[in-house]
Amino acid sequence: MRFSLGAVLACCLAGLQFMAILAVVFSSYLTSERALITHAHDLLRDVGTNAIEHSKGFLSPARVAAELSARLAQNRIIASDDPVLLERLLFQQLQLAPQFAGLYFGDEQGNFVMVMRDARGPAEFQTKIVSHRDGFRQTQLIWRDYDFQLVRSVFDPLDEYDPRTRPWYESARDRLTTIWTDPYIFFTSRNPGITLGSPVMGEQDQLLGVVGVDIEISSLSDFLSLLKIGQHGRAAIIHRNGDVIAHPRQELLRREDENGNLQFVNIRNFGDPIARAAFSHLLANGTMQVGQEQYSRFRHGGEDYVAAILPVISDMLPWTIAVYAPERDFTEPIKRNRAINVWIAALVSLVTAVLGLTLANYIHKPVRAFAVRSSLIAQGEVDPAQPLPRTYKELEKANDNLVQQIVARREAEREYGLTFDMTSRGMAQTEPETGRFIRANSRFCQITGYDADEILRMRLADLCHPDDPNPFPADGTIPDDFAANRELRCVRKDGTAFRASVNAITIRDHAGKRLHAVLTMDDITHIREQEEQISELSRELSHLARGNTMGEMASGLAHELNQPLTAIAQNADSALVTLEHPRRDEAELRELLTEIESQALRAGDIIRALRAFIRKDEGRDTVFDIAELIEQTCHLVRAEATEAGVAVIRRLDPLPPVKANRVQIAQVLVNLLRNAIEAIASISRNERTVVIRGRCEGGQIHICVEDTGPGVPENVKLFSQFETTKPEGMGLGLSICRSIIQANGGRLWHEKGVSPGACFCFTVNQDRETADDAARHLAAGPQPLDEPRT
Amino acid sequence: MTEIELTVFVVDDDHDIRTALSRSLRKRGYQVESHDCAESFLQGYDGRRAGCLVLDYGMPGMTGLELQAHLAGMDCPLAVIFITGHGGVPESVQAIKQGAIDFLEKPFRQAVLLERIEAGFDLIRQKLQTCRKERQAAALFDRLTAREREIVDRMVENPSAISSKEIGARLGISPRTVDHHRARILEKLQMKSVAEVIAHARHQRG
Repeated sequence: MRFSLGAVLACCLAGLQFMAILAVVFSSYLTSERALITHAHDLLRDVGTNAIEHSKGFLSPARVAAELSARLAQNRIIASDDPVLLERLLFQQLQLAPQFAGLYFGDEQGNFVMVMRDARGPAEFQTKIVSHRDGFRQTQLIWRDYDFQLVRSVFDPLDEYDPRTRPWYESARDRLTTIWTDPYIFFTSRNPGITLGSPVMGEQDQLLGVVGVDIEISSLSDFLSLLKIGQHGRAAIIHRNGDVIAHPRQELLRREDENGNLQFVNIRNFGDPIARAAFSHLLANGTMQVGQEQYSRFRHGGEDYVAAILPVISDMLPWTIAVYAPERDFTEPIKRNRAINVWIAALVSLVTAVLGLTLANYIHKPVRAFAVRSSLIAQGEVDPAQPLPRTYKELEKANDNLVQQIVARREAEREYGLTFDMTSRGMAQTEPETGRFIRANSRFCQITGYDADEILRMRLADLCHPDDPNPFPADGTIPDDFAANRELRCVRKDGTAFRASVNAITIRDHAGKRLHAVLTMDDITHIREQEEQISELSRELSHLARGNTMGEMASGLAHELNQPLTAIAQNADSALVTLEHPRRDEAELRELLTEIESQALRAGDIIRALRAFIRKDEGRDTVFDIAELIEQTCHLVRAEATEAGVAVIRRLDPLPPVKANRVQIAQVLVNLLRNAIEAIASISRNERTVVIRGRCEGGQIHICVEDTGPGVPENVKLFSQFETTKPEGMGLGLSICRSIIQANGGRLWHEKGVSPGACFCFTVNQDRETADDAARHLAAGPQPLDEPRT
Repeated sequence: MTEIELTVFVVDDDHDIRTALSRSLRKRGYQVESHDCAESFLQGYDGRRAGCLVLDYGMPGMTGLELQAHLAGMDCPLAVIFITGHGGVPESVQAIKQGAIDFLEKPFRQAVLLERIEAGFDLIRQKLQTCRKERQAAALFDRLTAREREIVDRMVENPSAISSKEIGARLGISPRTVDHHRARILEKLQMKSVAEVIAHARHQRG
């Protein structure tokens, strides 16, 4: 799919802008968000730390007051048995710290003095004094105003309060040190608070009594409600056991149990669901598990929150400060900003796209005009020589190149057309899919006899001779592997056959798609006829030469045949004599007949060799065993060898079958052997041997004939016609031999310096099919070799 | 006349022919000795054993013709019959000239060979007989005195002038003495006429 340059430019510009802005927006958003969350954590921690400090500051005066009172009592500065003085001391202390709800002292005898604030009574302060005197218990309740003036005093005979049974007393007595009780809800004020107990020791380190201070901690909740944690953030103080002891919404802190007592609400049941979701999971085995500062993010009610919890303030005050706030308190502005930024990005992109489109259109206009002009030139509607409208420099250059190319191509096409039409060979183009001719020159028409219109309705396959196997696929197309210079028998329009040499090349484009096939066709009927005649003449010549050789060898061959015949006659005679004898020796007769048989066969061998040699040359190659041919040839020259006193020795490797003209190879062998024998016969030398060697090398059989004759004189040009060293020779032998071997696809040469005499070698081709079979066998596994023949 | 022991010597390089021929001849009662080449034959032949040599014409090494020539020089009692696989006229003429009995082309009829062998044997027998006669004649001539031998010499020199008168005149003795010597010569040589004496003397010297 193709797009116009303008659209691509606009889309790219707008898209790139949009993506760049989006990248910046999201990157800054993410960074800001992270910074704000970190900031939120810091804020939460600060709030927590603030709350801790505040709690400490809130509680430390109580400790100071209690311990001061205890020391005073201890040093008998105030006597515990003087309730009036004690009351005054406690009153002063109570006035010092507004967070104190009450101060009191109880001793081991059960005496008790307490001063406390009373919001509902007749005056601001109430005093309760329990004294035992002479075994008589008395409880007095006194109300005083801010200036310690008595407002009211009553006795309460029903009172049974005993400080020694209270938890703060028992705890201080047991541990003999200042203790804090767990927070609880004060019975009188219904407010949350804690009690501090400090033991008063006597001179003998015995416990005299315990000073107690009640501290209301609802002001901690007030403090927490004042803290600003984002817009919706809250802080809470949670006791170690999970009770929420301070929270901005104080009404959530209390609940009544089944006995009507007020109790703190545990974090698990706490009325603030967000606090519950943030912190209840930290409560395990009845204890808040907070080792160090912990921050968390969680989701509740479709909103994200951040939370922090700080470890317990101290062992005495096992409280943790828990803070949480919705994340949007911190990130809301940047989220809003992000959305705005995305819209800005979209807008900018749109504007850029419109601008880009306009710009691209402006840039593209000359290019488009150029493209239209190029396409018109390609269709031939515009002359490339026409001046180019105003355009870019680059395009002008491209136009120049294009024009040059077009001119060159038209010239090439014209030349190709001329070559195609005027060449002396038949030329045609075929369509790749159907094989039909799409163009043919006049020579092609002349060769085939069809006129141009007729040819264009035909395929090459239609020209082939119907009797020959069709070399084309069923659809008549020309295969890619169509061999070069392939010879076909074709039929002309008038039905006469002719031999054609056909070349076909498939022309492909860069992608390998077949465009068409180019054929060239030559009528080689005449050439083939001439070759046939020459071959026939050559065969006749070599046949004559063989006949001539036979004539020369006739008497020797006759001798060679007469030998076994003579032996047969002799043995037959012996047999006759044996038969005439009165006591016939059958064993002897059998031996005689056996010998006659083998001698007759020997004669047969010679006749077979003779027939193989003088057989009419059919001009055909056959597959045969060259070792057998050499053996037969030896039969033929044996007589001459014997006469010349020459031993013919065969030293042949195991030789594979060869494919050649058997009669002609025999002729060469006979010729070489006779030459060798004659050479030795011409001299008197003790070593009189002719050795025939044979070996297989690279798909060819090498046959060498070595003799111990005088060798070839330096000045003789071998293989040239009418050059001879023999007085009665015509000098045709070696020349014909060489022609024969070359016609059979081999070479014949004189090998110098191998033997004392001459050495002539030639090659014959191994039969390819058996060679391939042998190769397959060899690949399959080792084969036992035949014994070498000698 | 005692029977002479005659042998057929077969010399042929072809093993088949050699064995077949030897066996066939032995079957017909001949004493046969075979060799595969001329050299081997010569090694085993002492020059005195008589008989027929059946000789292959074409052999490697020493050929049949060469052997024949060699034997002719030795003057040994052997009749030569050539057998050949490729008989040509020139070769046969040469062989016959050198005294061969026949030149048989292989294959030959056994009867012909046997006939030739017999002919050869006859020839050898004759030859041996002639030799014996000549040796006897020579012994007779040896019995002549110097003068008698001189008279025989004169008669041989000039057979046309053999009358006692002419011989006496040439030797410077009387014709009567010549007559006497002549009678002694005829008696010693056990011959009936002077012509016979001349023929023998000539034969001995020829």
